[in-house]
Amino acid sequence: MENISETIKPESTKVDELIKNVELVIKGKTPQIKLVLTALLAKGHILMEDNPGTGKTVLAKTLAQSISNNTNHLEASFKRIQFTPDLLPMDLIGSHIFDDNKKEFVFKKGPLFCNVLLADEINRASPKVQSALLECMAENQITIGETTYPLEKMFFTIATQNPIEMEGTYPLPSAQLDRFFIKLYFGYVDAETELDIYNNYLNIIKNTNNVKPIVSLNEIINMQTECETVFIHPEIVTAVKNIIIQTRQHPEITLGASTRSGISFLKCLKAFAYVNNRKFVTEDDLSNLITPVLDHRLIYRNKEAKQKLLVSFLNKEIERLKKVNLQA
Amino acid sequence: MKALSKYSNKVLIVQFLILVIPTLIIVGYGLFRLNNFYSILENNYLSQTFYFVIGLISSLILYRYNFRFISTFSLLLLINLIIYDVIERLNIGEFDVFYYSVKFYILSVLFCFGWLIGYAFTRNKTIVILWTTFLVFTEVITLSKTNNFEINSIVTSIIPAILYFVFILFSYELIKKYKSNPKQLYSKSIKQLSLFGILILIFLFFTSQLFKHDFKAIEKEWGGGKSKDNKSNNGQGESMTENGKDGGIKNKDQSKLAGNLNKDKQLVFVAKLNNYFVNTNIPNPLYFTANYYTKFDTATQTFEIDDKMPFNDLFSPNPSEIPLYFKKTDSSIIKKSLGILNREIISAEVYKVAMSPESFVAPSNAFYCQPITVPDEFKDKYKSAYLSKMWVSQLNSAYFIYNPAGNKMLENFQEDRFEILRTISNIKGPNKSFDDYYTYMPKNTEYNRIKILADSITKDFVAPIDKVIAIRNYFLSKDQFNQPLYKYTDNPGVPGLPSANKLNYFLFENRKGYCAYFAGATLFMLRSLNIPSRIAVGYLTEDRSSKNPGWYWFYHDQAHAWVQVYFQNYGWIDFDTTIPDVNTQQASQPDGTPPPEVPATYLVIDGEITKVDTLNKKLTVNTKKFLYHDTEFVSQNFIVTINDVSLADIHNDTGKVSLNKLVEGERATLVSHAEVLKNIFISDDKTAEKLLKKLKQPLPIDEVKLMKKIEEKDKKQNKNKELNNKFNWVNFFKVLLVCITIAIILIFCMPILIFLFFKTKIKFRGKSQIAAIQRTIHFYLHQLKSLPINEKSPSIIAQLIDNKFGTKMIVLNNLYQKCYYSKQPLTNEEENYLQQFYNSNFKLISSKFSIKQKILSFINIKQTINYFNITK
Repeated sequence: MENISETIKPESTKVDELIKNVELVIKGKTPQIKLVLTALLAKGHILMEDNPGTGKTVLAKTLAQSISNNTNHLEASFKRIQFTPDLLPMDLIGSHIFDDNKKEFVFKKGPLFCNVLLADEINRASPKVQSALLECMAENQITIGETTYPLEKMFFTIATQNPIEMEGTYPLPSAQLDRFFIKLYFGYVDAETELDIYNNYLNIIKNTNNVKPIVSLNEIINMQTECETVFIHPEIVTAVKNIIIQTRQHPEITLGASTRSGISFLKCLKAFAYVNNRKFVTEDDLSNLITPVLDHRLIYRNKEAKQKLLVSFLNKEIERLKKVNLQA
Repeated sequence: MKALSKYSNKVLIVQFLILVIPTLIIVGYGLFRLNNFYSILENNYLSQTFYFVIGLISSLILYRYNFRFISTFSLLLLINLIIYDVIERLNIGEFDVFYYSVKFYILSVLFCFGWLIGYAFTRNKTIVILWTTFLVFTEVITLSKTNNFEINSIVTSIIPAILYFVFILFSYELIKKYKSNPKQLYSKSIKQLSLFGILILIFLFFTSQLFKHDFKAIEKEWGGGKSKDNKSNNGQGESMTENGKDGGIKNKDQSKLAGNLNKDKQLVFVAKLNNYFVNTNIPNPLYFTANYYTKFDTATQTFEIDDKMPFNDLFSPNPSEIPLYFKKTDSSIIKKSLGILNREIISAEVYKVAMSPESFVAPSNAFYCQPITVPDEFKDKYKSAYLSKMWVSQLNSAYFIYNPAGNKMLENFQEDRFEILRTISNIKGPNKSFDDYYTYMPKNTEYNRIKILADSITKDFVAPIDKVIAIRNYFLSKDQFNQPLYKYTDNPGVPGLPSANKLNYFLFENRKGYCAYFAGATLFMLRSLNIPSRIAVGYLTEDRSSKNPGWYWFYHDQAHAWVQVYFQNYGWIDFDTTIPDVNTQQASQPDGTPPPEVPATYLVIDGEITKVDTLNKKLTVNTKKFLYHDTEFVSQNFIVTINDVSLADIHNDTGKVSLNKLVEGERATLVSHAEVLKNIFISDDKTAEKLLKKLKQPLPIDEVKLMKKIEEKDKKQNKNKELNNKFNWVNFFKVLLVCITIAIILIFCMPILIFLFFKTKIKFRGKSQIAAIQRTIHFYLHQLKSLPINEKSPSIIAQLIDNKFGTKMIVLNNLYQKCYYSKQPLTNEEENYLQQFYNSNFKLISSKFSIKQKILSFINIKQTINYFNITK
């Protein structure tokens, strides 16, 4: 029986290999890894919020290390910026420097020109810096003065932030938050995994240093295009629409979800299905993604609403999906 | 025009079987009914149905191909018109042309109708609906015309049409549905049609059973007769008589003006009437009256018997309830008959053949009834007999009706009679209510027309008798072509308009009818002239031969209705205005031999059988009253008599009974004609007891007649019922207990039954199979309280189950989601996996629970109810 159940599982893909590779370092975080990959394949960006020391940075680094550069089989370029209150936009995007030899100002690329960017503790930087990220995250390009510089074809931002209540933070503007496809709470691992980590931390550290690149950038780009072919049932699209509209109409929500967020929701659904080795979107995807994708975009009147509303919208839609006969 | 076959032959055959045959039946039936009412159709319903069906089938075949309807149908109409025109132009003699053109007209109309319906069956649903509704409406209209609201007529007219309506629409859709798929057509249509048939049968059965009483109540309300009466008359039409419970013939309680009348040549009774013309020995036949119809119900066009009529002079004993040779008299009838002058008492003996033993007929104003025995050798022919006496008017006679046929004596008699009655110039009843009652007539324009006619007929006459004669003569008069104005027919047809007053139709338009029409019309004409009158029904007396003077034979077709007119001091006098039937000259019925005189009766004992001795053929009877030499004796105490019945003929109302069938307690009348008793006279001082003791017992008895003890039997039955009811309570509780037990067991078996039911669904393939497996396992787990009910997401539930039991529910869930949300079909591998998924996984789950746990959880109904609450 085991054999049969194995055979009907889809053959393991690059995504699985990627996950396995990351799991060598990050233990017990499969759902989070999947969500990160979802954001990656949906051509989006991800915001991770949690206390320091939960493995956010390590995850981002391992992911970058797992992706090899096209040409030289080296790992993809990975840049990390530690955001501080005195950080300036220039520090991110680069600046014009006078070249003595050429007698002209030459643009010196900042850390943004990379494949995977880890923006650590993004909410510690001033809003000025945060907004500098806007264009590059949305349009994959940077405009300085009159010149527009395109970013790498695969540009993936992993931002981390500490809970807003902590001192010395600037909350991200909602426009900025909207650019992040997924916001995920990393969370601590469970007790068993914790013990496992402690027992094998030497190995883990060794692994961290020896992460092998598994997929190439081109493959990632291919996967990104493949994601778009995932079948999404019109009824699920309707469900997404209904949820988005409900967030706008509900009196307990001051700021509802935008149309852009609806589109990114659909993109994420497809990517999530792809990450789970499926060629179609299911209601499970919907329930797995709704909070990571939508929650951070909404502004609630109170905490209670934050805890309940999205789930209630979701349940309503799942009920509806069960009633309609989808196969016809 | 290219003719392409649209459907296969199979469809044609199915159409023929399912659509054409029922249509044929219903159209044939409808035409049969229409033929009864419209003379233009000339009773050719078979050939008419044939025309229709030929049209239907030919268009069904033609429109199978892609022919256009409008062009073909107009071509057909054109051809019909041309043929019709040609026939009209042919010079074959005026009458023949008319005859043939009418015939062709009917043919072409029916053929085109059939053609249209055939087209509708192949292509046009709207016409099908219109056609079926048209049929229903035709039936409703024919029904409304007959005014015959008996349940039988409703059932035979409307219900077939409605059934046809439902059936055709149903099967039309059915054929349409499977037209493209002839393989399924046969099996599916047979299956669905048989289901339909069963449903209809069940429906009919239950409605007829459940609402039997309601139907009867409605029938009464609408003035219908008893629904069973037409059995012997083969259904259609109205009959003057009805069959009693025991198969004998009775006059009906109501006589309606129906479309046609059924009569046949059955001998009803034979009578000897001792009535002679005054001072002669020429027999004077009299009409035999069964009932009077004094009231006309305008709503139902029905003449009714009214028990409350003033001076009710109707004597209606039940001869079967009177012991043999005992008498029933009601001398108040003589007073109520209001006849003083020209009256005499005469007697009549009636020997019943087909007549019900319970009914009583005699010439008007009978007041005496005495059942008599029928001589032995005639017992097979005559079932029972009675002697009756009546206070009749010498002015009455069946002869004088219209044509004394040159018989001087009769003509003189008739004139004498009219002379006597002419002395009355103004009829006055004994009181005002009598006048009001017998001259009552509905007031509306229709009856006004009758009044105007009556006035015009009688304007030259003053004496009421002359007016009566004028009305009689009016019916016999001839029109300007020297043709009779009125005709007699048993089949008068229906008026062209529904709800038109039938009498008006008869008087002014159709001028054809049977006796009830003539009598009814005469009645209203007389009443409009303020002459008190009523309708009498009974039997027409015909003196066919002089072989047995005074004996008359009465056949079923002699059932009759006529008018009686009241003249003060002379009482009610018969007048018959029905004209003779010229068309059907009936061959006179052969009269049989009359039964001979019955030997003198010396002793009649009426009493209760207390002992039956079949060996010695002796009957012990307790009696309180007996007749001896025609003198009635009544005793205070029971007298025990022992009777020798070895020679006796034992019978009841309907036939012979053997001795060993006699039951103790039955009431019987014992008759003796023994010569031994002839010479034993009684002296005055002897009381009843002493007399019987003086007679040598056992008494020689010649005849034993068993009497019905209806009331006592009923009482006994009621008692039995009461007893049964008491017992029934125990039975009722027993049944209730069993029912409750079964219900409880069923309730406790519910979870397992539901589980098994869910399990049966697993045999399906594809999506429903996955759903079934999931549902079955979920139900099982829920019953064992191991289903994570707080989770909503199916994948999480699956994950949790897998973690607990090591199953692969998550794989199942994934497959389910695949079936549900993607358009990819399941691969073969996946399907094979599903085939064995349930068994292997169920084992895993089942092994985790002990048997005790399972049993306890599977009688937990609360949990089952919860399950359904959750899933909702």
